Amino acid sequence: MSVAPVVAAVGATPVASEHRGSNLRDLMTEAVLDCLADAGMDDLSAVEHGLTSYESDHFNLQMTLGAILHDTIGMIPKPNVRIEGGGATGALALRTAWAHIQSGLCDSILVYGCEKNGRGVSSQTANQLFALSADVDWEMMVGGSYTGFYAAMIRAHMEAFGTREEQFAHVAVRNRRNAAFNPIAQKPMDLSINDVMNSRPVADPYKLFDCSLLSDGAACLLLSTEAWAREHCPAFDRRAPVYFTATGCGSDTMRLGDRYPELTNFRAKRSAAAQAYAMANISDPMREIDVAELYDSYSGVEIQAVEDLGFVQRGQGGPSVADGIFDLDGELPVNTSGGLLGRGAPVGATGVLQAIEVVQQLWATADPRRQVAKARRALTDTHAGIASISVVNIFERRD
Amino acid sequence: MTEKVRSIIDIHLPERATGGDVWAQFRGVERIALELTQSYKYSLGKVSRFFMELENGRFLATRCAGCGKVYAPPRPLCPNCLAVADWVELSGQGVVKTYSVLHFSPGSNDDVEALETPYVLAYVLLDGADTLFPHLLKANPEQVRSGLRVRVAYSDEPVHHPIHLMHFLPVVERQRP
Repeated sequence: MSVAPVVAAVGATPVASEHRGSNLRDLMTEAVLDCLADAGMDDLSAVEHGLTSYESDHFNLQMTLGAILHDTIGMIPKPNVRIEGGGATGALALRTAWAHIQSGLCDSILVYGCEKNGRGVSSQTANQLFALSADVDWEMMVGGSYTGFYAAMIRAHMEAFGTREEQFAHVAVRNRRNAAFNPIAQKPMDLSINDVMNSRPVADPYKLFDCSLLSDGAACLLLSTEAWAREHCPAFDRRAPVYFTATGCGSDTMRLGDRYPELTNFRAKRSAAAQAYAMANISDPMREIDVAELYDSYSGVEIQAVEDLGFVQRGQGGPSVADGIFDLDGELPVNTSGGLLGRGAPVGATGVLQAIEVVQQLWATADPRRQVAKARRALTDTHAGIASISVVNIFERRD
Repeated sequence: MTEKVRSIIDIHLPERATGGDVWAQFRGVERIALELTQSYKYSLGKVSRFFMELENGRFLATRCAGCGKVYAPPRPLCPNCLAVADWVELSGQGVVKTYSVLHFSPGSNDDVEALETPYVLAYVLLDGADTLFPHLLKANPEQVRSGLRVRVAYSDEPVHHPIHLMHFLPVVERQRP
């Protein structure tokens, strides 16, 4: 296989509950200009391909956003493709961009993602729109919502392995605290375990602070061959090169009930991780990965993720999280950005934001208060629904 | 300046441009309310018979003609064998395998909007089935647990989506005298 593509440059807007002064085109423009500045480039004339990452025509009240944003940021008449994969959209977009480079179709591709999931609609409307991404006839119509599906999964996990609410409260506390060191984070908070435990019930056993945020935001990542980056990005040489070395993708049934008897964990995530680890020659992920962004749509999901990604054995997620091994000063820091719980989750941008966080960790350009020392290899974990699609991407610094 | 637009939510005009703001000329923001209502001629497709039989108080599932796996909710095609399935009738009794107590209602349509919170979303393994069927379990949340025996109850009230012709109720065990 050819040499892996490099991350030439990144850009993002702050993540917020509502960017009142900006529509999606404005947000995307700001993120792209931020990326251009990061690359040290004056314009996008050298960039060969575009890739638009957004999930919802409903939230955004606009179809064909791919074409509109491509036009807005001045990429006409270059080729463009739009990628949608639910919550995994941004990570799937990066995986698709990886394939574009690896196939030789192009040497440079701009991945730009955005979403306005914040207060443009009521939270009830938001839940209805997200529920449309469940099975409409069999899940949505019976009062189902993603909060409910995730809650049913973590209940099964608790009953099977003795996982406790205090253990997933630890995730809610830690990720919101990490967000305090991330200048683009939506909602840093300094909470106690008790604050989480005493917050109002949403879908038992999940409470308010166990739930991630609805967000507005945009993010952009320029992926290219190393030769292209050295030729076209004046700023590329100032940092150690970070390669996008491996990617895996798995799938699972849409409905939780069809997965019976497995209700506790994410099969698609295990499948995605196995592919990515094989591609990156990783045999002991807990030791061989230095920093990771995990898809903490709900606090307990991170506990399930550390098991399915092979960081710890199944059933050990709760105790290992509560022991602090995934904290900033732990063995394998995760969600240093604040995660979906603290940084926020504008869906089409989320996977891109996760990649940007780990790439900045590998570049060692993160805020010193959240910077992981000597990080060489990083992972992002992103999924759609209750992991009906799961994507694991791996980035490595080589200097 | 706002009277001509009936959908105005608010207008924000910056008091004074801050130095160095490249967007200084574009900081005035108007927000309007937009609504979009759609209705669909929505086919229930090859599983329509499941919904039609609910009106007769019968609970159907499908069984793969190849591997024998019983799907509830029904699937016309077994994804493991790619064999066309047969309809089978189940008793409608089963056991809760996992559940959640929801304290908000997403209000997916007229029927669900009327849901009183908290309500229970239960995943039920129906006797004779191999998959779990999600639906409302109308019971005191305090008394719900995994392992609870439940049964399908059929509604006589008119509904909007035929899935609401049914829900689950706890099986009340007969008291010994």
